[in-house]
Amino acid sequence: MEKTSIVKRILIWASNHPLWMIILFFLIFPFIMPYKALATLILINGLFSLGFNILYGYTGLLSFGHAAYFGLGAYSVGILLSRFQTSIWTALLFSLIVSGVGSLIIGFFCLRRRGIYFALLNLAFAQMLYFIAFQWVSLTGGEVGLRNIPTPALQLPGFSIDIYSPLRFYYFTFIFVTIALIVLKRILDSPFGRVLEAIRENENRARAIGYHTNQVKWLSYIISGVFSGLAGGLYTLYMHFVGIEYLYWTTSGMVVMMTLLGGAGTFFGPFIGAGVYLYLEDIISIYTKHWMIFVGSIFFLCVLMFPEGIWGRVKSRIDRLKVS
Amino acid sequence: MEILRTENLTKNFGGLTAVNRVNFVLEEGRLQSIIGPNGAGKSTFFKMISGEHVPSSGKIWFKGEDITGLSQHEISHKGIATSYQITNIFPKLTTFENVRIAVQSRKTTFNFWTRADRHDDLNEKTIRILETVGLMEKKDFLACNLPHGDQRHLEIAIALATDPILLLLDEPTAGLNPVETVETMELIKKISKGLSVILVEHKMKVIMNISETITVLHDGQVIAVGTPEEIQENETVRRVYLGGKRE
Repeated sequence: MEKTSIVKRILIWASNHPLWMIILFFLIFPFIMPYKALATLILINGLFSLGFNILYGYTGLLSFGHAAYFGLGAYSVGILLSRFQTSIWTALLFSLIVSGVGSLIIGFFCLRRRGIYFALLNLAFAQMLYFIAFQWVSLTGGEVGLRNIPTPALQLPGFSIDIYSPLRFYYFTFIFVTIALIVLKRILDSPFGRVLEAIRENENRARAIGYHTNQVKWLSYIISGVFSGLAGGLYTLYMHFVGIEYLYWTTSGMVVMMTLLGGAGTFFGPFIGAGVYLYLEDIISIYTKHWMIFVGSIFFLCVLMFPEGIWGRVKSRIDRLKVS
Repeated sequence: MEILRTENLTKNFGGLTAVNRVNFVLEEGRLQSIIGPNGAGKSTFFKMISGEHVPSSGKIWFKGEDITGLSQHEISHKGIATSYQITNIFPKLTTFENVRIAVQSRKTTFNFWTRADRHDDLNEKTIRILETVGLMEKKDFLACNLPHGDQRHLEIAIALATDPILLLLDEPTAGLNPVETVETMELIKKISKGLSVILVEHKMKVIMNISETITVLHDGQVIAVGTPEEIQENETVRRVYLGGKRE
């Protein structure tokens, strides 16, 4: 009895302080994973899903073209480092700006339409970017992508540091993800975040009570794009490589799967989704190159059995604990 | 002083004229009802005033200002609020948040950094409104889990939370049993003090009890305006609407 009540209390505390729990968890995360690079991958893809989740989980807008912002961020860093030999800071800053401007423009057009038309307009724009990157070989490397991207040391006031050992890069990513999480938590808890949820629940009524829902959705779209762009930029730093497939629709599909798997509209869900997806890929691809069949089946079963996602399911259990 | 005036207000949907050259005047602080059979154009008339539908022709004046064709959120900020016939709430938010978000609409949208639940002025006003409509005890329920009668009151509470000058009530007692209907009627009497209200209703008892003036719509056109007594005596109205049928 004593023991279960402690477990219960810990679980409740954790669900009441999701932010600290996640940060704490990620601090020790690389040591519980089979290898550190996988932890970094999960962190970066989790950040991408987090960005996607702002739009889908919290604002209720499903985009099938989020590869666009991941790709814009990734190419920004790749191009600046390899063609202009800039510092890491400049490159990452540009990944934020470029994905922000990209989502500002594309969002403006996509948000003219709703539902399936919105989703497919996103897909169309993302595929347009894909073909631009494909054709513009002098800038993007075309089909081959950008290879052998330089690995400059990270400049800090007074000294510089090499960040490319697996563990160092993990903590480098960890810092960005932590900042992103804190910013996102503030936004979601703010009056603006509440308007996002109201729009997800009932856009019509949100407009009727006086919210300029088009502007709010547009801003949500841009925030989502910038987070995705940061994930893309970090991914390039990590891989020293930008592949044309970052912009391809499969990347858009992947982020939808990760988010749904983990639990759309939950704070921690996207990381769980990214973790499960990548971990399964990692294990199954040792045995067969057709790992996608298994990941797909598991996704299928998950959606059928708990449509609220893995973390969504856990969370509703904890909420019930709290009541009892 | 008149607060709302429509001039030849018309709405066509394809070949159908839902509202046909309606001239309507509401004096400030009055409660005026609109009745009429199904499809008479009552809801469409409301949707034009609230900005959900753009009129095909005609004008809408609110406090002497032409508001024809303004968007829905702009009209909300002019001080017109609607309570809908078909319950139009935020289902997966709590009762409290349903009202709080409406209260917040008067103050801020693009505030990213403060905590929404720590705006005491908004919370206090939310509590006041929940107490007025009698939902304080159920403030932590998800709106979708409230019984229908409570959802109807929440519907009114959301409209009330935006500090309206003019309140449009579209069948507030839709689907309510006789006891709940009486409760809602009392609530409407209570909240309409100091407000201007237009009420659309089907239940004659409600209409005759609380209206000061009644406008009768039929096939999108106004066929009569008068006090409850005058309307009951009116031959045309009896023929097309009351038609001998009594509640």
